[in-house]
Amino acid sequence: MEKVSNHPADELLAAYSAGSLPLSQALCIAAHLEHCHSCMHELQQLNRVGTELMQQLEPAPTAEHLKQDLLARLDSLEDDIPDTTTTVAADSSIPRCLRQFVASDYQSLRWKRVSPGIQTVELCRDSNGARVELLKIKPGSSAVTHSHSGDEYTVILEGSFSDEHGLYRQGDFVVKHVNDRHTPVATLDRECICLAVTEGPIQLTGFLGRLLNPFLRRSHA
Amino acid sequence: MASTEASKNKLASLTDCMTRVAEQRDKSAFAELFDHYAPQLRAYSLAREPGADLVADELVQEVMTRVWLKADKFDSRLANLNTWIFTLARNCRVDYLRRNSRYVTEIDPTDIFDNIEYEGPSPFQMAHQSRAEERIRAGLKALPREQSEILTTVYLEGKSHQQASEELQLPLGTVKSRVRLALKKLEVLVER
Repeated sequence: MEKVSNHPADELLAAYSAGSLPLSQALCIAAHLEHCHSCMHELQQLNRVGTELMQQLEPAPTAEHLKQDLLARLDSLEDDIPDTTTTVAADSSIPRCLRQFVASDYQSLRWKRVSPGIQTVELCRDSNGARVELLKIKPGSSAVTHSHSGDEYTVILEGSFSDEHGLYRQGDFVVKHVNDRHTPVATLDRECICLAVTEGPIQLTGFLGRLLNPFLRRSHA
Repeated sequence: MASTEASKNKLASLTDCMTRVAEQRDKSAFAELFDHYAPQLRAYSLAREPGADLVADELVQEVMTRVWLKADKFDSRLANLNTWIFTLARNCRVDYLRRNSRYVTEIDPTDIFDNIEYEGPSPFQMAHQSRAEERIRAGLKALPREQSEILTTVYLEGKSHQQASEELQLPLGTVKSRVRLALKKLEVLVER
């Protein structure tokens, strides 16, 4: 595991630990955690905070029949919760949390070209409307300069990209807030694949962006 | 520190029950676990939805079912039993909320939570585990009211930062910084 340098904020990790984060954002956190020892360590600490808080609650007694019912059913219980740790080849480079959408490899997904250098594939929507997608940027290609009408969460899965603010490598977790503007460029050595969660439609800026904007908004609706 | 000693002994005896459940499918050991954890789990569910007794019963059954089925996955070298139960409860809550949401999403929380965080700390971290728990317990008691309130809102009531900001009538930035301040005081943040 290489050291990752861009992490989710502490309060975001705490919300993940508490289970109060929208699932699309939790997905990004999980993808980051698979690359980041120090966030995993912090998460374990945060889980202890949740544990202590739960223990401090005034216990609420349960009806006796609840226990008897369950005890009577124990032998017939069947494990229907899939165990993903054993069903997938260990050498897969796809984060475990994404295997529900990416069965074998990134290349065989149904990519759609949005510009000469960029392809996307939508994985799903969250119940809050956020769009969950993968982006594939050709080596050296630049995304259109854009700002955001909602927050955008990105985790680098393969390759790297840079923007006005810095260089982002595999595992890095990047949040862009409303009205942040940036122009991501994939580095030259290889293509870059990212997981991206967008809360509201992206606003493209610049000439090409202004032309494309109405289409994007429609496709996000 | 008699209460610390007592809670350590209690945890040791519950962990022993857990081993008996895993290795011998011991139902009386399972009943002991149920007696201890069911009222806590019920309280956890009621903290989010006061008065929702059926939902609380469902959470208890769901979590205790997983305890029975996943018993062999529990490893006391990797996490203590209380924390394992907390993460199961949290996962069941997330799953319940997803199933009952007005707009259903295909995102399956199983792969996001269940198998992710159980990779295990280093032995060094484990040596410090019980001390960390005592520190957090003492730290929670010493927090200013507004900071413990925000942790309760996020962890027990399960509110997002946005919801917390509406409920407590605080700017979103204040909610986030209060969470951060509280965690800092509890000394749980890791240098990253």
